[in-house]
Amino acid sequence: MKPAPFDYHAPTSLAEAVALLARLDDEGCDAKILAGGQSLMPMLAMRVARPEALVDLRRVPGLDAIRLQDGYIAIGAMASKRAAELSELVREKQPLFHAATRLVGHQQIRNRGSVGGSFAHADPASEYPAVALILDMQMVATGPDGERVIPADEFFVTYMTTALEAGEILTEVRMPVLPTGSGWAIQEITRRNGDLALAGVALTLRLEAGRCTDARIAAFGVDATAVRLTAAEDSLRGAVPNSESFARAGATAAASLGDPMSCIHASADYRRHLVGTLVERALAEAAARAR
Amino acid sequence: MSTRQTIRLTVNGKPYEREVEARLTLADFIRHELHLGGTHVGCEHGICGACTILIDGSSARACLTLAVQADGANITTVEGLRNRETGQLHPIQQAFVEAHGLQCGFCTPGFMMTTLELLGENPDPSDDEIKEALGGNLCRCTGYQSILDSVRLAARRLQSASAA
Amino acid sequence: MAFDIPTRTEDLPTDAPRFIGKTVNRIEDPALVSGTVEFIDNLSLPGMLHCAILRSPHPHARITRIDASAALALPGVEAVLTGEDVARWCDPCFTAPEGWGNYCLAVGKVRFVGEPVVAVAASSRYVAEDALELIQVDYALLDAVANPDEAMAPGAPVVFEERRTNVIQSRTYTWGEVDRVFAAADRIVSRQFRWNRVGANPTETFGCICQWDLADNSLICRGAYQTPRFMAIGRAASLRLPANKVKVVSHAQGGGFGGKGGPRGTDIAALLSRKSGGRPVKYIEDRMEYLLAGGGQSWDRYYDAALAVKADGTVTGFKVRLVDDQGAGAEGYGTISAAKPLAAFTGNYRIEAAFYDLTLVATNRAPTYPYRGYGPPPHNLVLESLMDVAARELALDPAELRRRNYIRPEQFPYTVPSGNEYDSGNYAAVLDRVLELADYRALRETQAQARAEGRLVGIGVVSTVEPGVFDWNAYATVGVPGVGVPEGVKVAVDVFGNVTVAVGFNLQGQGQFTVAAQVVADYLGVDMNSVKVTTASTDVALPHFGQGGSRLGVAVTGAILGACDKLRQTFCRVVAHVMHTDPEQIELFNGRLRMKQAPEHGMSIAEVAGLMLSRSDLLPPGVEPCPEATFVWVSPNRNQPDDQGRCRSYLTAAAATHVVQVEIDRDTGQVKILGYYIVDDCGTRLNPASVEGQLQGGVAQGVGAALYEEYVYDAQCQPLVSTFVDYLVPTIHEVPMTVKDHLVTPSPVAPLGAKGCGEGAIHTTPAALLCAINDALAPLGLECRETPASPQRLWKLLHDQA
Repeated sequence: MKPAPFDYHAPTSLAEAVALLARLDDEGCDAKILAGGQSLMPMLAMRVARPEALVDLRRVPGLDAIRLQDGYIAIGAMASKRAAELSELVREKQPLFHAATRLVGHQQIRNRGSVGGSFAHADPASEYPAVALILDMQMVATGPDGERVIPADEFFVTYMTTALEAGEILTEVRMPVLPTGSGWAIQEITRRNGDLALAGVALTLRLEAGRCTDARIAAFGVDATAVRLTAAEDSLRGAVPNSESFARAGATAAASLGDPMSCIHASADYRRHLVGTLVERALAEAAARAR
Repeated sequence: MSTRQTIRLTVNGKPYEREVEARLTLADFIRHELHLGGTHVGCEHGICGACTILIDGSSARACLTLAVQADGANITTVEGLRNRETGQLHPIQQAFVEAHGLQCGFCTPGFMMTTLELLGENPDPSDDEIKEALGGNLCRCTGYQSILDSVRLAARRLQSASAA
Repeated sequence: MAFDIPTRTEDLPTDAPRFIGKTVNRIEDPALVSGTVEFIDNLSLPGMLHCAILRSPHPHARITRIDASAALALPGVEAVLTGEDVARWCDPCFTAPEGWGNYCLAVGKVRFVGEPVVAVAASSRYVAEDALELIQVDYALLDAVANPDEAMAPGAPVVFEERRTNVIQSRTYTWGEVDRVFAAADRIVSRQFRWNRVGANPTETFGCICQWDLADNSLICRGAYQTPRFMAIGRAASLRLPANKVKVVSHAQGGGFGGKGGPRGTDIAALLSRKSGGRPVKYIEDRMEYLLAGGGQSWDRYYDAALAVKADGTVTGFKVRLVDDQGAGAEGYGTISAAKPLAAFTGNYRIEAAFYDLTLVATNRAPTYPYRGYGPPPHNLVLESLMDVAARELALDPAELRRRNYIRPEQFPYTVPSGNEYDSGNYAAVLDRVLELADYRALRETQAQARAEGRLVGIGVVSTVEPGVFDWNAYATVGVPGVGVPEGVKVAVDVFGNVTVAVGFNLQGQGQFTVAAQVVADYLGVDMNSVKVTTASTDVALPHFGQGGSRLGVAVTGAILGACDKLRQTFCRVVAHVMHTDPEQIELFNGRLRMKQAPEHGMSIAEVAGLMLSRSDLLPPGVEPCPEATFVWVSPNRNQPDDQGRCRSYLTAAAATHVVQVEIDRDTGQVKILGYYIVDDCGTRLNPASVEGQLQGGVAQGVGAALYEEYVYDAQCQPLVSTFVDYLVPTIHEVPMTVKDHLVTPSPVAPLGAKGCGEGAIHTTPAALLCAINDALAPLGLECRETPASPQRLWKLLHDQA
């Protein structure tokens, strides 16, 4: 289990990195960006990924800031998950993203793994894409033509595929501050603690005058990308937040799934059922937090 | 750009400069180029945690890191735990010995390096916090109970040492 | 000369043992925690090459063409090995039963996914793997047999053509009047069970460095070898070398559990060394190789079993039909695992008659290997599950049903129907203690409360016997010859009174070096720190076996006691000679050779050793100037089996009862362990902390087997598990921190009364968990009879009913 040979580049500025990627692309060289490497390295070791060149972003300055800007939280793509986990700003202002971060792997992985890497990798079992969908996160990509902002619902295309172009680098992810009083929850079922989710659900919920107003629900680990569960969201509009409405939302969510993935640990049926259960449980958890 | 790169890094306080192949993993570099064999390799795909080391003070899987990514880094491996002059075991090592926190010992360096990070961040961890920290290290021999005991013992020892 | 091997610690030549029976720090550990132990991959030899292996992607196919020319042309590549070389230079490995072995590299056809096809030796592992990508192999696909049903169907493809059948062995064993007890039973409970493949997965995979000396035509194999001499003999046979020209050097191992593999990798590295002009060749199996085709797959079983029960709960008969999927041949001795239950077929119970219908089948899955416990973990799961079904049908508490059937203390030594003799035990006392420890009544109360709330809470109470100290005779019926497994040591005293113990095995984790030092230190009256334990390579080591079959702690204790007794006798002669008295007047006590009548007169062992080495003029006639002794221990009183496999096989019988409480999440099928309690009795505990470590480690592996781990194959016989992402070794979160206590019923026949204790918990935990799960499901009328009881399986059971 040793990686195949590749050329290695470690540009020292974003401009240099972008230019390098453009040149490699022109030359027909299959280049891949190396961020923390926690997902890429096993693929290299198994030789299921075998790029001709790696462009390591570790020497590019300014990509690891976590800051509040114009009312939203911006996390540099090279910020480690551990940094996001330890960030008071993230914990206080966006507790859902914080909780999702803590669910990723183990500390050794979060120390090295970048926030941006998980978005660019777009593993369907990852927590981040689901959170991105319900928070309407925005991905900032920098390419030869400058910067562009890609909304989450356009960013995740399919299994391990994003809207990033070949020459583009994901440089930042942006998310709104969680509105005061919003309920939120993220729950997942894994075989072992720290494993990838067989199924997971992230959601936010607002209550007004004892009624559900704005439920935003997404599932992960069940399809080629994270999926918004709009039918379940609709079923909650104006509903009294109680076990009946949550059970109904769960059943609606399960029924609305197209054709869930299947693997040795979880059949499609089981995954569908888990999504229903998780929606129900996560709604109860979120409702308890909502004010 | 090249398949070979020169890297400079510090391992257990000692500076090194080496030319390496870009594809060389940090685990292989430490083990076979620097001949520090205590960092063991159990799976090479980031699950077992046997190769856990500290990079700039943070735990990391050496198999999921390229040697070139460690250019400029300050690395600690299990060989850096014991007192270099006296040979005396680090309190974490001593605790693993006394609480029988190992059997075959192959995973043990990884557990101890993870423990080193944990007790640096949290000198008095609860059992749940210890489990949370060690959840990414597999042990096939002990069933973890004596490892939990070892970390508790190490925490007590380090705390009383820092109080003294 | 007769030798006295004490079976009681009181009989050691000391007032009180200072080390045996006490939790002492292990002498292995300072080096292990320092990272300085030489595991095989830490060793590099001058000129060493690195091996990588191209493996079959197909479960069954003919190899029609191999083109490795591009690989050979790659800079850094020194040798390429194919089936053509292997067919010229090797024989298939020997097996039991004979004739079901593969060559180390596929010759003509492949029989399982992951089977080695071409091997490369190159300047680095990286380059060797690059070379593999340049090799072209053409295959003509053959239909595969994916399971025993397919393999035994008429007209099925045959895995080993020359055998003309896929059935490796099919036979029955009848012990006692089985038909009569079943006819006379008030109740017969029967069930089918499926135990899916699991395996050892030590944290270190197999590795070796082999060097073929072309001038001498001899071979040195250094590596992670669990049973060095056995490995050496096997290599001599498969590589067609005189056995004295194969030297095996065993390095410390990062765990073993029986599933370390090794023969194939060793043979391949050896042949690559031969082909590259005698350069040393290192092969380090990687984790994917281990999971696909290493020594890590075991116990792929289909059970159909029945208990004959009287109305009062007396169990009178036990029938088991086992179809065991051995995978592609018997190279890994998976066959032995199916024979081992004979050593304790009827568990802790006075079951008078039993029947075993055993069918061993070859398929295109990977060959199976031993795994800790060998065969009993699935067998015990079957027996104990049926005990629970019987208890449920009779409306008896499962603990009570077991108590009624236990062998009673006064019945030992007790011969079980399948022939083995249990040395000692007190099973009811173990049960009483664990029920008290667990507060069993309170557990049942919380269960009742939970059930009233609609929760699925269950309790397992499971008792097992752990046969300890294996003997070859246990496996005679699957073709293993011989009686008596040797373990030899040399104990040497130097002029300063330091003691060196040379053994034939190396570190694997169980702490036998420490046990050796404890025994020597207590016997010779020295400090443990002045005992050095070292591993001899096979060319100079005494006959030995090493770790396996819950034997080494006991066996090495016996060997050291024997050697120490020899030393004692020699020392007595020497001291008597210089003191002008008879040897009978001299005794060893607390580290001194002294006059029995005048204990103040005597010599330390350092003085005696110094005298022997420096004053030959003072030695009695016939005594060599050698304060050293060797001893090769075998289990006493073993015998040849009869045609039904009955014999005194395993020397000791340890026992344990586990109590576990679980809760099943109705909506997700996940099982949570709420509490886990263990009381065991393995006689004298030589190093109690090590015994507890063995227990807890066995619990972890048992949890894995019962709830998490499984080698999954699809219908085409493609393995679907090749990484640690999918093979789910439990983490610290999944393994319960158990509450333990123990009783001590010493073995009357084993050295110092100690019983084998390395496998007891994995014998027990899977059964305990499945019984608890089925207790939780009982109100719903559901039963899980397949392992692992994964969330998906349990959810499906619950869901299908709903």
